[in-house]
Amino acid sequence: MDLEDLPGELIMWILIGSEILVFAAGITAMSAMRLTDPTGFADAQAMLDGRMAALNTVVLVTSGLFAARAERAAAGGDRRGARRGLMLAALGGAVFLAVKGVEYAHDLSAGIGIDAHPFFTFYFLLTGFHAAHVAAGVVLLAMVAIRARPDAVQAGAMFWHMVDLVWVLILPPIYLLG
Amino acid sequence: MMDRLTRNWLVLIALILATTALAAADGRIAAAGLLALAWAKSRAILGGFLHLDRAPGWLSAFLVPLGLWLCLVWALTAVR
Repeated sequence: MDLEDLPGELIMWILIGSEILVFAAGITAMSAMRLTDPTGFADAQAMLDGRMAALNTVVLVTSGLFAARAERAAAGGDRRGARRGLMLAALGGAVFLAVKGVEYAHDLSAGIGIDAHPFFTFYFLLTGFHAAHVAAGVVLLAMVAIRARPDAVQAGAMFWHMVDLVWVLILPPIYLLG
Repeated sequence: MMDRLTRNWLVLIALILATTALAAADGRIAAAGLLALAWAKSRAILGGFLHLDRAPGWLSAFLVPLGLWLCLVWALTAVR
């Protein structure tokens, strides 16, 4: 197992590992805090709309497919195909953020704020931090699409898959494990 | 013939559908199942989209700690 075996730039793998650790720490802290008030956490979690989270998972993994296709197209010298894949992936990110915005608006209208319960503090911090990564990823994918150089497209796609990876890991503890 | 990326995406969609179906269930076994599905999705993303299928040692280097962490999350959920 050599560093040379890793596909893409090493710095991207350091970033991916670091981000997983940050979100894992947040989820672990939330899970530990849940022990102090399991009923309160379960009641708070039941107020969330898991259907929107499921929809967003489909949106994000589909945009991941477009990012992966963009990477493959760029590697094969197909800049037009790479740009198309990157823009479709970015569009998926924009849809994710729109759905997240609707979800937050629904939460706030139901009286759910960041200080309503410790669960919601974790919920807004973790999903908000993740949404910030999605927003950054949308900008990154659009920037990379301008020149569509293979190494830059690969780095952009790797960032996007990291956002995807983090989402599938934080989803069950936040939305499903009551 | 379906390409490798599309096949990986279909696997992810199938895992999402399985998660949605299991989400209605309650209890420790269901929780373990939901976390196992999250691990399987992680494996599909790391292996299929991030190309760690070509570097199996590195794939394990990510998946084994992730699996242990998900076990910890499950234990914290189950201990109540």
